Amino acid sequence: MEPAAHQAPGGEGMRGIAALSLPARIFVAISVAVVTVGIAFHVAMVFLQTAPDNTISKRHGELVDSYVYPEFERNWKLFAPNPLQQNVAVHARATVAKPDGDTETTGWINLTAMDGEAIHGNPAPSHTQQNELRRAWEFYVDNHDEKGKPLGLRGRLSEQYIKRIVMLRFGPELNGGSVERIQVRSVITPVAPPEWSDERADVKPRYAVQPWWQVTSADLPGGGK
Amino acid sequence: MGVEGPRVRIERCVSRGLSRVTAQALGPYQTAIVRIGFGAAWLLFLLREWPHRQELYGPDSPWSWGLARQLIDTNDAFTVLMWSSSDSWFQLVYLVAVAAAAAVLVGWHTRAATVLFMVGVLSLQNRSVFMGDGGDNIIHLMAMYLVFTRCAQVWSLDARRAKRADGDGGADGDGSGDGSGPVRTVGGTGGVVLWAVFGAVLLGSTVAGGFSLGWALFYWAMWAVHGLWWAVNRAAVRGGAAVREMRDVCDILANLAHNGVLLVIMIEVCLVYSTAGWFKIQGTRWQDGTAVYYPMNLDYFTPWPELSHLLAGNGLMIFLVTYGTVATQVAFPFTLLNRRAKNVLLTFMILEHLSIAVLLGLPFFSLAMIAADAVFLPTVFLVWLGRRTTALGGRARRLMPGGGPRSPEPAPEQPAEAPKVPASGPAWRS
Repeated sequence: MEPAAHQAPGGEGMRGIAALSLPARIFVAISVAVVTVGIAFHVAMVFLQTAPDNTISKRHGELVDSYVYPEFERNWKLFAPNPLQQNVAVHARATVAKPDGDTETTGWINLTAMDGEAIHGNPAPSHTQQNELRRAWEFYVDNHDEKGKPLGLRGRLSEQYIKRIVMLRFGPELNGGSVERIQVRSVITPVAPPEWSDERADVKPRYAVQPWWQVTSADLPGGGK
Repeated sequence: MGVEGPRVRIERCVSRGLSRVTAQALGPYQTAIVRIGFGAAWLLFLLREWPHRQELYGPDSPWSWGLARQLIDTNDAFTVLMWSSSDSWFQLVYLVAVAAAAAVLVGWHTRAATVLFMVGVLSLQNRSVFMGDGGDNIIHLMAMYLVFTRCAQVWSLDARRAKRADGDGGADGDGSGDGSGPVRTVGGTGGVVLWAVFGAVLLGSTVAGGFSLGWALFYWAMWAVHGLWWAVNRAAVRGGAAVREMRDVCDILANLAHNGVLLVIMIEVCLVYSTAGWFKIQGTRWQDGTAVYYPMNLDYFTPWPELSHLLAGNGLMIFLVTYGTVATQVAFPFTLLNRRAKNVLLTFMILEHLSIAVLLGLPFFSLAMIAADAVFLPTVFLVWLGRRTTALGGRARRLMPGGGPRSPEPAPEQPAEAPKVPASGPAWRS
């Protein structure tokens, strides 16, 4: 980035500050100060949001949050401090009402495995396959207590989101009947430690079954507005 | 000298720095490659998701318009998709986002295009926040930063237009909307039309109550500044000293904003790596050298399980990549003090992102990260890359039927000779 490179894109017009009149120079000086302070502030805020909790970010947490959210947030922690070490699968089943009046409960359907199939051999997986269910489930878990009770608005939103994802994949009709209620569960399977390490770990899957949910028209495709 | 010594030196240093950041928009090639990289990443992403666009961002997505409405009421994220739940509005916004990404990529009326690009990125991503990943996040940030940069000084249609105008005598040409060059009219008819259209759209959306106060001020300020720059340039062609000075002050302010935001972009990239590194150092898996093994066994990130398991089966390899990643990320900001060390680490990180693209099935994330890394690429390399690309393009054109030995396009913005980079000097500037 030596001068020669700059001259190319059009340097002849530059006269610099030295050639300016006094008022113009004062104006430029003020602008330099404003830009400098602005950048310092911005960088400080962004830094405090990404850094671990510390003395300063605890004291000015509100200011940092109000500046950084929602547009300057930085948040990806997939591999830090530790990478995810378990496969989280979401299964769903339904009770369906048959035309003859009977109801029937379907078997568990592994929705995550459907995503996995779509990703397998795919050089550019879609966000609908790689992020949709995975991040929806994170959102759900973050906003529910252990008993599956929603926490606040986000809890309720995440619940309806999961219902809508399940119903999009099931469709209103399943096993020859219309879907009335659905239930989801998560299956967490720890990744086995590497063969070449002497570490041993329990890799038994853990199940967390959520309550049955009534399906309403708002949960069906077309009922989202 | 005596007591005066250090003071004089400091003063000289400050004034040199000041003239650098006001007289030029630094890093023309670096900002151009960042622009091209993010334009391409977002454009390719939108095209790839074309069949899935309804499910991701449409009114009837599983994350429905109604759900998004309730969440956005609590955080005030900016998205024009909340203006209407109609499908045609969504389709229009998606198409405009695609067009804006293409315009940013080729550098067509770049100053206006970057604003529209940002509107597209923010609107789609904020509409469905839970669909995104780290790649979306960095595109989100850079889309906002690019608005403030003169990122079309080279490798853009704007730059080509400006050059042609200069060739025609300059004064009354169809100059670049981005040019920090000699006095000339800016943007031409196309620019005026765009500006008028944007003004009308802005007026309509403001009256309809589409913007919060902050965003309204921001967009109107942008619009006014673009108009002012055009008017001042036009007036300066024939105007007196006062008008010319005003034009120069505007030019200085634009350079100042560009250089400031370029610095922010660089710091942001450093923060991405250093904080990622610091967090990793605290992780037991990164300490025991097995961290990289685990993503190779996650169902969501193994499009090629055989390949992933092959790598995961090699303990030494996993250890080297695990430790190498942490070392690189923590060290990166400090290597900027040394040109050669920086370039080695930069190569390493770009290679790592390329392998992430394939192994973990994250091509758009990787492309975005590489585009961000590119802000630190050395000018010599970028100029060489530009020349290779132009040569390849010329050869391809001759091979095409009817291409013939037409007079070649003027090569986009290359200095007549390869610039000589000083052997020493702060690495971050190169």
